[in-house]
Amino acid sequence: MAAQQQLGREHQGITLRGSAELVAEFFSYGINSILYQRGIYPPETFTRVQKYGLTLLVTTDPELANYLNNVTEQMKEWLYKCIVQRLVVVISSIESSEVLERWQFDIECDKTAKDDNGPREKSQKAIQDEIRSVIRQITATVTFLPLLESACAFDLLIYTDKDLAVPAKWEESGPQFIANSEEVRLRSFTTTIHKVNTTVAYKKDSVP
Amino acid sequence: MSQEDSHEWELSKENVQPLRQGRVMSSLHEALSQQDSSSHTAVQLKKQEFEAEIRFYSGDDPLDVWERYIRWTEQAFPGGGKDGNLAAVLERAVQALHGHQQYYKDPRYLNLWLKFGDCCNEPLDLYSYLHSQEIGTTLALLYITWAEALEARGSFRKADVIFQEGLQRKAEPLDKLQAHHKQFQARVSRQTLLALEESPDGDNIGLLEIAEPQRSSLADLKGRGKKKVKAPISRVGDAVKVMNPNRSCQPQASLQLPNAPSFAVFDENSVSGPEIPTLTAQSWPAPPVPRAKENELSAGPWNSGRRRPRSTVSSGLEVPHPVPSFTPYVDESAQPQMMTPCKIEPSINRVLSTRKPEEREDPLQRVQHQQQDAEAKKEMVMYCKEKVYAGVDEFSFEEIRAEIYRKKARKKDEDEIQAIEQKKEEIQRKIEELEKKLKKKEDNKQQQPHEQVVEWKKGKKNVQLLTKEKFVMKSAGFHCLFCFFQDELNGIERLSEDAIVTGSYKNKTLCANPEDTCDFNRAAHLASTPFHGVVAQRVPAPAFSQSELKEDSPESKSAALNQETPVGEEAYTEALSVKKLSPIMEASLEDTHSSGASVSGGSLSSVTQTSAIKYLQISEKLELAQSLPAEGVTDDDVAQFLWSPEKRKKLLDSLMSSLAASPDFHLEAGALPHMEVEKDIELGNETYCIKMEYWNDEEYKVFFAVPTGCIFQWDAKGFAIKVYSQPVPWDFYITLELQKRLNSDFDQSFSENCSCYLYQDGCAIVHKNTNCFTLRDILHDRKFITKEIIFLVVHDLLHVVEKLHKAEIVHGDLRPEVLFLGDRICDAFSNEEVPNALKVVDFSHSLDLRVLPRVSLPYNFPTAQTPHGQQLLAESSLPYQVDLVGIADIVHLLLFGDHIQVYQENSIWKTSQNLSKTPDSDFWSKLFERILNADGKSTVPLLRELREEISEMFDSSFKERLLLTLAAVGETFLLVNFQ
Repeated sequence: MAAQQQLGREHQGITLRGSAELVAEFFSYGINSILYQRGIYPPETFTRVQKYGLTLLVTTDPELANYLNNVTEQMKEWLYKCIVQRLVVVISSIESSEVLERWQFDIECDKTAKDDNGPREKSQKAIQDEIRSVIRQITATVTFLPLLESACAFDLLIYTDKDLAVPAKWEESGPQFIANSEEVRLRSFTTTIHKVNTTVAYKKDSVP
Repeated sequence: MSQEDSHEWELSKENVQPLRQGRVMSSLHEALSQQDSSSHTAVQLKKQEFEAEIRFYSGDDPLDVWERYIRWTEQAFPGGGKDGNLAAVLERAVQALHGHQQYYKDPRYLNLWLKFGDCCNEPLDLYSYLHSQEIGTTLALLYITWAEALEARGSFRKADVIFQEGLQRKAEPLDKLQAHHKQFQARVSRQTLLALEESPDGDNIGLLEIAEPQRSSLADLKGRGKKKVKAPISRVGDAVKVMNPNRSCQPQASLQLPNAPSFAVFDENSVSGPEIPTLTAQSWPAPPVPRAKENELSAGPWNSGRRRPRSTVSSGLEVPHPVPSFTPYVDESAQPQMMTPCKIEPSINRVLSTRKPEEREDPLQRVQHQQQDAEAKKEMVMYCKEKVYAGVDEFSFEEIRAEIYRKKARKKDEDEIQAIEQKKEEIQRKIEELEKKLKKKEDNKQQQPHEQVVEWKKGKKNVQLLTKEKFVMKSAGFHCLFCFFQDELNGIERLSEDAIVTGSYKNKTLCANPEDTCDFNRAAHLASTPFHGVVAQRVPAPAFSQSELKEDSPESKSAALNQETPVGEEAYTEALSVKKLSPIMEASLEDTHSSGASVSGGSLSSVTQTSAIKYLQISEKLELAQSLPAEGVTDDDVAQFLWSPEKRKKLLDSLMSSLAASPDFHLEAGALPHMEVEKDIELGNETYCIKMEYWNDEEYKVFFAVPTGCIFQWDAKGFAIKVYSQPVPWDFYITLELQKRLNSDFDQSFSENCSCYLYQDGCAIVHKNTNCFTLRDILHDRKFITKEIIFLVVHDLLHVVEKLHKAEIVHGDLRPEVLFLGDRICDAFSNEEVPNALKVVDFSHSLDLRVLPRVSLPYNFPTAQTPHGQQLLAESSLPYQVDLVGIADIVHLLLFGDHIQVYQENSIWKTSQNLSKTPDSDFWSKLFERILNADGKSTVPLLRELREEISEMFDSSFKERLLLTLAAVGETFLLVNFQ
């Protein structure tokens, strides 16, 4: 019996709401990882949690955590409505406000999922495995990303479909591209409803 | 690219050293993928290049080479460590550039030093050295790096001093320095606050004393000692490190310190004053005092402890050491080789007693020693030591010599080219002078009274002058000019030709461009012996031409003219035109090899020439050819007649009945309608609107047209219409023959829907379903030409030619223009069942060997008249080989964008281009080798083999990539054409 139940759970599909939650959760952990990896916030303000079979670092700074929670909730809602196209983490120098790094998560929503309510065939485990490899890659980017020498701040940009009412505390912004950048594509994962492609762009070394 | 490939970096993240400026993904990827393969040839070559550049750099910025070398090393050896030898490169760079005052304020130079510092055990020494030598003291980076290093060791106060120094010196960029200073202060104060929070009672702890010694992690904590059981004290951390500079000021002095507690707690505040003063005015510092090592007993109360036998093992020195009261910590895994125990009687030879492993272990020390050695050096090196050892690798003398030789050779080449250039200019000048002289003479002549000869003569003279002028200027391409003369005035141009042949212009270079030997070759034909005899046989009086040629005596000149005066202008021209020969054609009687070239070459410039005249000339020529005492009759004749419309007409007349039987053959009454771009024409029952002209020849033009009324789109298909000024539907005949002989193999590579309209004075052949682009359009833009496109095109080209040859038809004029693009390229989304990328519809110069099997002379094909064709094709070559030469040229155009150039090596023809740099070079070199050296072999199996080899490369991923490229090509075509 137990084995059968187990089997049943593994074969469970995924619904739109579940997918939105998974993806929003990924963003939360992903952004936390980036903030830690890139030293945007002091490392001592992070704590370890186990997730996706990895040890991830999550901020303990209450303000930051609150902010990220808000974003995650907002993302969840938009993901559920399938109206978000892209989330960008922009890392820029505080002194010169020059954009130094740009983490771009492109989201492809399968809008047909809004209409058919049936779950899709993909187990949570498979999705989480895919997410894990993306997070691992985010960690591994230290191999090629330049050192952030000055104090940096981060900014979140969210690309949504047009005509969306901008919530309070959000404002419209430009894309904040990096001039003369090198772009590296990371792995992508899909829940079959949302597909997330990750790319990181960073300033090219001035001399080749 | 497979997933594994592109994410290799992820798997080796531990083996990649992060760089301050980040890594270039492509080079990281390259480096990682090459790690497995044993051959790093590309990397080694590049390294060699840098090494050579360092040795033979002659500019005034040697730092530049070093900097590029270092940057490249960083990127190419992500693992750092020994294989990249970054430390060694840095060390060499520092040594090589030592004392270059001009760099002392150069940020690159400072960077070099700082990078070098990262490789050193004790960068602080290096920073103070830089400071004392005023290297980079105007740059903020020095102070920032220095302060960071100090901060990392917990010496906050000293770090602050360094910052202050930098600020005082106004190091650039100042704002950056200030920002770093502020951040540093913020960090310090935050840590202090934290420390205060954690130890509320620690009110007597100095603010800056948080850096307390700590135990090293993983150290053995087993209690030791007898009196008091103590854990071994091996402190690490900031406090311990900070002691070092202090000790360096007074080495060994502490030995004399009076008894003291076994370990003094280091009190940072007791360190007197800032460190900087001690650094000033140091020359290249004395060999640095060995720095703190784990197992080294630092200055302490050595004489207070009891002696223990086991501690004497470590150094067998003559003076027995006082032994400290504590046990030096010995790591469990301590390498025995660090201190080789002395087995020999120490008094015998001190040199051999112990190896001092630390000696010059630190690159900084090595650099210092090297400098010192250099200063103290007395011997003189009698070989080019600086060249042998300039870089990281050692160069052998041979390598150096080779490099010098190469350099010389290069210089020589350049000089030669320059000399040639100068010569060219000189010649140009001479030509101009001569022209001026000529003009003067002509003017003089004109001034002489010759009342009888009136307007006409004058006009003639002018024309003559013109011809001469043109001739001299363009002597290299003289055959082009003849047609021009033919149009303007007949007969007179002979003079110019004589000029060449008889050599009265001997001292003029025939070839204005020394590179362009093909014209010279052609002229050589003319100048060769048999030709001189013929001059006399010319119909017009030779005396006349001679006198004209010499153009010195006005009398003879006028006499000649007088002779001519009775003839009216029209009559004269006519008369001459009957007798007239294009000089080239005359020449061709002597030398059939060059005749074809001249005719087709001439056509380039004579767009306006009417076919009627041409016709006349040819018949004239035929007559002459027959009337002349013929040598080598039959073959030459056949070869000559082949391209004459008569011969073809004769041939086709016999086949006319079968041609007429075809439903696509229409016999039209009347004259061929005039065709022009943007005009409508009527052919049969259809009206077409001509949209553009692909190319034209003197005898035929090829247009692209759409049915009238249709909206013209570039990506849509239309009709290729070929208009031939002779009533000889040769293309139609060949197409029909192909259809007959190939049966099922006759596919979209040829014109499947071809109709022929034969008029009284010409014919038009309409090919349905043709794309409006030819291969030339692709060649226009090299970015289209991806590997995939090349393979696809070459594959189909081989296939088409294979089919032609199977049908015993030689195309003879394979050029990018005649190869129409098939659906495979133009319509990227067409299904795979339409595999043809190319379409051949034009057979103007084709030869049906089934009808004319005796022809073995390939010279008359247009392909054979190209420079490479002339080289490659021998008289005895089979006609089929002409097409191989055409293929080779097209492949070369695709690969390199220019025409093929060949040379012979060990009787094997090769291309002058270096193929090794192209992707798939193996295949291409094989292809060229086989195609260029196919002499005598049957071409069909050769083509098939090569084609099959390509089709083996078409796998699924290839198709995908191809599709991508094709889509891009299609898009760009649209863009380009709509612009």
